[in-house]
Amino acid sequence: MKRLMIGIAAALALSGTAMAQDTITLGASVQETGPLANTGRYYRDGYNFAIDKINEKGGVTVNGKHYKLALKILDNQSDTNLSVRQYVQLLTQDKVNFLLGPFASDFALADSSVAEKYQVPMIEGGGASDQIFSRGYKYIFGTLPAGSEYFDSTLQMMGKLKPAPKSVALLYADDAFDVSVAKGTRALIKAYGLQAVQDQRYSSNTSDFSTLISQLKSSQPDAILVSGHETEVLNFIRQAKSLNLSAKLYSFTVGVPTADFRKALGKDANYAFGMTPWLPSTKDKDEYFGDGANFASAYAKQFGYAPDYHAASAAADVEAYVKAITAANSLDPKKVRDEIAKLNFDSLYGRIAFTAHGQINLPQTVIQVQDGKVVPIYNRTGFLAKAQYPMPAWDKR
Amino acid sequence: MTARFGLIIALAVAALLALVPWVASPVLVQFGITTLLLATLAQGWNIIGGYTGYASFGNSVFYGLGSYGTAIAMVQWNLPFGVGLAFGVVLSVAFAFLLGLPVLRLRGHYFAIATLALAQVMTAVVSNLEIAGRNVGLVLPLLSGDKLFYELSLGLLVLATLTVFWLSRSRFGFGLIAIRENEDAAASMGVNTTLYKVLAFALAGVFSALAGGIHAYWITFIDPVSAFDISLNVKMIIMAVFGGPGSILGPAIGAFVLSAISEVLSTEVSTIASLFFGAVVIVAVVFMPRGLADLVRRIRKTGWRYFSENVKSHRL
Amino acid sequence: MHLLLQILVNGVLLGGLYALMALGLALVWGVLNIVNLAHGSFIMLGAYAGYYLFTKLGVDPFVALPISMVSLFCVGYLIQRNILNLIARAPMFNTLLITFGIDVVLTYLAQMIFSADFRTTNPVYAGDNFAVAGITLPLVRVLACGIALALTIALWLFLSRSRLGRAIRATAQNLGAARLYGVEPRLIYALTFGLGAALAGAAGDLYGVVSQINPYIGATLTGKSFAIAIIGGLESPLGVVVGGMFLGIVESLTALYIGPTYVDVVSFGILVLVLIFRPNGILGATA
Repeated sequence: MKRLMIGIAAALALSGTAMAQDTITLGASVQETGPLANTGRYYRDGYNFAIDKINEKGGVTVNGKHYKLALKILDNQSDTNLSVRQYVQLLTQDKVNFLLGPFASDFALADSSVAEKYQVPMIEGGGASDQIFSRGYKYIFGTLPAGSEYFDSTLQMMGKLKPAPKSVALLYADDAFDVSVAKGTRALIKAYGLQAVQDQRYSSNTSDFSTLISQLKSSQPDAILVSGHETEVLNFIRQAKSLNLSAKLYSFTVGVPTADFRKALGKDANYAFGMTPWLPSTKDKDEYFGDGANFASAYAKQFGYAPDYHAASAAADVEAYVKAITAANSLDPKKVRDEIAKLNFDSLYGRIAFTAHGQINLPQTVIQVQDGKVVPIYNRTGFLAKAQYPMPAWDKR
Repeated sequence: MTARFGLIIALAVAALLALVPWVASPVLVQFGITTLLLATLAQGWNIIGGYTGYASFGNSVFYGLGSYGTAIAMVQWNLPFGVGLAFGVVLSVAFAFLLGLPVLRLRGHYFAIATLALAQVMTAVVSNLEIAGRNVGLVLPLLSGDKLFYELSLGLLVLATLTVFWLSRSRFGFGLIAIRENEDAAASMGVNTTLYKVLAFALAGVFSALAGGIHAYWITFIDPVSAFDISLNVKMIIMAVFGGPGSILGPAIGAFVLSAISEVLSTEVSTIASLFFGAVVIVAVVFMPRGLADLVRRIRKTGWRYFSENVKSHRL
Repeated sequence: MHLLLQILVNGVLLGGLYALMALGLALVWGVLNIVNLAHGSFIMLGAYAGYYLFTKLGVDPFVALPISMVSLFCVGYLIQRNILNLIARAPMFNTLLITFGIDVVLTYLAQMIFSADFRTTNPVYAGDNFAVAGITLPLVRVLACGIALALTIALWLFLSRSRLGRAIRATAQNLGAARLYGVEPRLIYALTFGLGAALAGAAGDLYGVVSQINPYIGATLTGKSFAIAIIGGLESPLGVVVGGMFLGIVESLTALYIGPTYVDVVSFGILVLVLIFRPNGILGATA
């Protein structure tokens, strides 16, 4: 048994070969396989893409010395326990300098405790649950806007539609992220003076929505808000069509901005509302990519699929480190952490500045799929395009 | 090699293992904690599956109850860790008695499926309980003490292994083996089979619950899917069966070997680690269906033919 | 009342699909005494077969049904012949473990080959529906339910009327008995396992039309299939249909009256109760 342990030690030591001296290594454990791999890839590709670009432009200078960025990425197989262990491995064995986050709120919740334990900052672009940032942790920063505010802009827009929807149904999955969305949305529905006709929590692995849909048909809400995972959203829309459920409007927290969603649903994706904190835009100026639109086209060229806000959020996380390290002029985790907290810069993803809790404030832009394309409809400044509203019944499309 | 001699060697190895946190890297310590806890689960399964012959696919329930007992006590009631562990054990023993009694009447596949279904039911029940944080889970207080967790896990495994050693030479253990070999005959010999089976189930539950409690405090975040992880059942059984079910050290050794393979795979080949692990399971079951313990016993006599003979004797 | 009726109809239609999913698992379990943990992965492969036939070759999913079945039959036959057969006489948990290993390998191979993207088989009529007395009936689910019933009856006729079918049933009782029918047991094993996989292929092909497909859908489907097979009993394919409908209705009513998050509590709870009180299924003779 002892020989075995030595063997393992040797094998593990080999895998963590010392990094060349003039690199700064960022470590991440993301979902490359397993049920979350579909979204996990945005983070793998987003991190790599930003790091390559930054290196191409000369890397980072600390104390007059030039550093290249490197990424050490591990596959957590969509297993939270494994991801926690991998973050410890990244810090203690692979000796990475700083941490980038995983996808999904439950992972970020678990993994941020490693960052806190070892007092090394983690900037994550994959977990939006308010719960991650309400524990008083100092080393976790997030570039997704708070889950509780996801539906804010949508509800605001609803007040300006004619005829304005009056009754709302809220459906949400029972995981960390969606529960925090529901909590915030419930309060918002009240604040905007709308009537909640249904408020239903469903299990995260639900594939059959026929009961929920039949209930919606009989309570006839004007608007249906769904907070869940992309698989559930796909099933919900397909089953809504097959049971002939129509409302004036329906909106989903995830799925709508992705190319995958429109490909899987084809014409049935039309009229679906969604939201995104980011859209490729020439207005978001960026030091490395020029602007957000450039980022999007270069990304699509390299990886063969269009980036959504997950990928942009991931790229912004890398840039945030570069800015903070430069400002700290040091690789000391504590100094860099303090600089991250003070960040305030423009990126391809928008303005990066963290609240005292460590989360970003970014307004969600309401989007809608119109004729197979994602069209920005509404943001703080008002309508950006005409909403296709009310949604026609399924047999009139 | 007598069992007593083997045990002395094993205790010596355990003493050496106790030194690991003071010399090894944090990653190795972390690997140690997960492996020791898995080995404990495999030993727990060994009591009900290996000795008694009841292939439980529901020991993850004990692990989950241990995790949640600890988490609820610490997070919701602000009680110390030790009280949490005890609470988890109480929950597990209660579960073993209440649901063990009816379920242990089933045999073979039916018992396996019933326990698997119970694991699903418990996951779903916990994800609806307000006090358990519903499906969102609970965040435990942070404690940087991997050495402590390591030694606790090692102590637990030693305790579990000593218990199995005691089983192998006690009246109670013989009763369990009699049940495994022929339950009706055991009953007619005067073994109180119902009581023996429930006690074995509860004993397996105690160790699994303690493992779950230690893991919960160490990992600091639990939710129903990770605490009641169904695949954990398959893992512990594979480890026990790989090592040799019904032997004293087999399950622990099986856990060490398979964890090492899995760990090296997930750091070395990363994205195809799971694929390889599946393949390793298939190959192991085909070529050494009776586990490492049997391999060690017989390979000296038979040499490489051991593997082909196994295949020959089990295929159709 | 109208809502309740609609939900009962939903449940029955869902149950039809459930029954088809469980049919192959129950057959393999009943005859070969193998609890196939890779069954859900076979359904997943069937779904991909249907998806690619439709998107790449334009084959309608209902036309693709037999193609999907034949391909999965081959997969099942080969897996039994080359892997499962090697441990046919080993202890029970070994078969559980090996099918677990096969499941893992199939799942991750599927991710490597098909990617983790979400897919749907989406013919133009996929969302069509018609109404009878105010109750909405989704076309594809009705057709799927009909196919499930047709395949169940076909399987039942095959097992009870044909020579090969009777040999298969005899094998379930006693390995040697198959020889009385002049069929090699080894062939029976591979054929039965292949047939189980073919039924999973049919279920998968239709699953892709009503739901979404990704490499990881297998585990949940295996769990559901278990529950149905046990509730319905392993003795006859007709029991499986009853099990499927029962589960479909119970799940729908639970979602309506107790809440959608309690569906698993109730469905698996019923499974445990059935095992304890009626281990041969709700239709079977009491133990």
